[in-house]
Amino acid sequence: MATYIINLAILIGINAILAVTLNFILGYAGIFSLAHAIFFGIGAYTAAVAAMKFGADFAAATAAGMLVSGVISLALALPALRVRGEYFVAASLGLQMLALTVFSEWKSVTGGIGGLIGIPPPRLFGFDVSDPVLFLALTLACLGVILIAIRALVRSSFGRSLKAIRDDETAASALGKNVALLKTLAVMVSSSFAAVAGSLFAFFLSFINVESFVLEVSVQVIAMVIIGGTGTLLGPVIGAAIVLLLPALLTYLPYLPPTEIGSIQQMIYGLAMVLLMIFRPSGLWGYGSSQDRKRAAP
Amino acid sequence: MVFLQLFLNGLQLGAIYALTAVGFSLIFGSTKIFHVAHGSAFAISGYIYWWLASQLDVAWPVATLAAVLAAAAFGLLMERFIYRPIQRHEASFFTVFIAAFGVSLVIQNLIGSVAGRGMETVTTPLSRSVEIMDGLFVAPISAISIGVAILVFTALSYFLGRTHVGIAMRALSENPDLVRVFGLDPGRVAQWAFVIGSAVVVPGAIFTAMTAGLNPAIGTHVMLVSLAATIVGGIGSVRGAACGGMLLGLAENLAYWKLDPQWSEAVTFVVLFAFIIFRPSGFFGTPTAAR
Amino acid sequence: MLKSRIAAAIAGALLWVGGAMAQETIRIGANLPMSGPNAELGEIFSRAASIAVNHINADKMLSKKLELVIEDSQATPQGGVVAMNKLVSVAKVPYVLSAYTAVSKAIAPIGDRAKVVSINGGAVGPDLAELGDYFWNVIPLVNFEAEVLIPFVVKEKGLKNIVLIFVDDPLGEAVQKVLRAEVPKAGGTPAGELQVQRSTQQFASIAAKVRELKPDAVYIASFGTQENQIIKQLRDNGITQQLMSYSAMSTPSIATLPEAKGGWYTVQSADFTASALGQRVAKEYKELSGKDANAYVANYYNAVMVFGILAQQLEKAGKPITGANLLEQRRASPTFELVGGKMTFQANGTVAAPVQIREVDGTGAGKLVK
Repeated sequence: MATYIINLAILIGINAILAVTLNFILGYAGIFSLAHAIFFGIGAYTAAVAAMKFGADFAAATAAGMLVSGVISLALALPALRVRGEYFVAASLGLQMLALTVFSEWKSVTGGIGGLIGIPPPRLFGFDVSDPVLFLALTLACLGVILIAIRALVRSSFGRSLKAIRDDETAASALGKNVALLKTLAVMVSSSFAAVAGSLFAFFLSFINVESFVLEVSVQVIAMVIIGGTGTLLGPVIGAAIVLLLPALLTYLPYLPPTEIGSIQQMIYGLAMVLLMIFRPSGLWGYGSSQDRKRAAP
Repeated sequence: MVFLQLFLNGLQLGAIYALTAVGFSLIFGSTKIFHVAHGSAFAISGYIYWWLASQLDVAWPVATLAAVLAAAAFGLLMERFIYRPIQRHEASFFTVFIAAFGVSLVIQNLIGSVAGRGMETVTTPLSRSVEIMDGLFVAPISAISIGVAILVFTALSYFLGRTHVGIAMRALSENPDLVRVFGLDPGRVAQWAFVIGSAVVVPGAIFTAMTAGLNPAIGTHVMLVSLAATIVGGIGSVRGAACGGMLLGLAENLAYWKLDPQWSEAVTFVVLFAFIIFRPSGFFGTPTAAR
Repeated sequence: MLKSRIAAAIAGALLWVGGAMAQETIRIGANLPMSGPNAELGEIFSRAASIAVNHINADKMLSKKLELVIEDSQATPQGGVVAMNKLVSVAKVPYVLSAYTAVSKAIAPIGDRAKVVSINGGAVGPDLAELGDYFWNVIPLVNFEAEVLIPFVVKEKGLKNIVLIFVDDPLGEAVQKVLRAEVPKAGGTPAGELQVQRSTQQFASIAAKVRELKPDAVYIASFGTQENQIIKQLRDNGITQQLMSYSAMSTPSIATLPEAKGGWYTVQSADFTASALGQRVAKEYKELSGKDANAYVANYYNAVMVFGILAQQLEKAGKPITGANLLEQRRASPTFELVGGKMTFQANGTVAAPVQIREVDGTGAGKLVK
């Protein structure tokens, strides 16, 4: 039982990192990306290959993942500079689908749908951290560092400029802000941090394949951010916990026919998304109404 | 000859894509709602048709009518009970997106529970190809789907260009006052957009049920293609969405000519990505629409 | 206010999950796709398993009531790992039914670490034979199937030019490898290979490519709804040649697909009529689902029955029912009397059950060809 809860907590922690990093561009910079799972995947594949081929430890593998992810994120930054709103959503969707094809076809690196098996247990500075409790501690430490980093970024002049762009791009550019550079940096920061989640995920499962980085995962991360509350620091963490706990709790519902249980879970999950958006669109952790938001954010 | 064959296959698939994309584009163009549950209307109407025509042996015009009513009712209910309550608050784009995604999840699993989770097809001799020239196979359904697509677009163009409701629908997002000049209620016009936009997916759904077959998860793919076609064609342009859908159908099939088959679907998204980078306004969009 | 309420609710929820349940029963787990596009098979697997559970309970084979705990893998590795962790550490089962190549590969290390047996009755990727001592297969893997079908098609039927359509995953690649070896060995010619993505649904243009290659027969290596779509669209688009496949062609929806009629497929010998046990299982499955039993029904029934027999032997010997003991017992007595006849586990945890060739004829189980 304890192992199960710890494993669930690790998954929540990994997804919380994804949600928090997506929120950084979605909530603070107004960049709506449907391709977040791709950077999760790039982090996971890079870390796995680094560990399997070069015997890298967790820190080195994660750093490699962040680097590769940050560079490839330029492919997402490029359309972000050209277009906004629905067009960017579609561009990120295109990137998601293209990258997924590459993930499944570049078999010498990614193993295709067969995936990479036998990722070695994680080591950190010479210590084995594969014990579930230690790994949970590692996950939470990563989450903590990323939360602190994002909090610092949001409160810096960089973060204020991003919010200015989100609220009115034309005005921000008139004020002499380098919109293109700021957006590119925001996307790079978000994507590199998302790669940390990928590295944790690869070491945690010791198996990864393309199915963990599909469009549905990107949408699920968005759901976490929206359900928790965009533009808040802790909202996405809460959202990640809820989105992962809900199906886990639903399996405890009694009297469901076993063959229908999967469908019923998915239906309740979908229904919860709908109801929440109708009755609490600012997210559970967000401010109650737009009035509050204005008062709280001068 | 292979090229010609692939081109014909592309035309048929393009006609189906165009029919679904046009509905999405119409709804988005007039209400600015990114209706990602559009694929659910496709799945619902396809399954209704399958259930009536294939399971209960109802005559096809009746089954078609029932499918149209089901799709229209779905669109209407979505507008009335999901989107309108959400838009009462200052809804962000993604609030609508998540709610609509939630609906598609519910519909997909509901269909799976009720109709089963395997593939279902409507068996008809129309889907069986005949060799019209040496090595060139065409099924009657290809001609029918292209014909129906042309018919639907002609009717839709007339409706949007000549009737008050149609003109109001096009004006709704830019200029709601014009709608009131016609003496129409903007809310009512939005409902019409959902009803008509959802109903035009029905032919595509029926043709798919006859050719590729239905499965509960089919809506997701339909939604992706509709979205891509809408962008490629230019947001807000029904004509553009139709051309976009046709282009994507052709591209997907012509990819087989030179590329290995596993890349054909990626071609759709290469086209999409290229359009966004190099011509974000699409075929027919006005440049200002794509800031 | 609300924030603290949410925090409290989450804490409460975690505690609720933490509430352990009393062990009044013996439990085994099932890690199967119960939602999503592959749920048709999950439904068949779980029904077959529950019939075996009922039989074990009705025949009082074990000292306590046997209970089947089903978790949804969604046919994805992540879903499978979450479900497996839950089965291993919450339900504390010693034995888990598995399906799907990718899921099985992802959960095998967990089972190995926790010394919990995973048993597969649905996936046929040959690499499933190499997942460690705690991963068993109660289904002959696809290499056995192709080795039977190809000589029959090439030598006996004289269909020499074979085109392969295969899905881009470990299963498809495994079939590709087997066919590359088997077709020339039998005296045939590999006339071409067409790889398709798992998400592809349109095959009219694939059919055009197949026509170009002018084969005598087409081997289809996909699964789930895609297998149906390929068959239907090939037939719709001018492919009149013989179609053939492995056990993926034995699903109920293909059995009733008019376009599939005449297709040959291999499947492990699951002759329900041969024994009283087989007839009993087939009859109960029909009552439960309204459909005829196929090889998957036999496999998952057998998978549970293997547990029942091993656990009975362990109880008799006074040993606790753990994964390690089950493995030891299986090695001591590897032969089982099951639906479809005698079945013997080899040292690597796979079975060498007889494979037969059947033809789709519109009825559930098809016609025996060889």
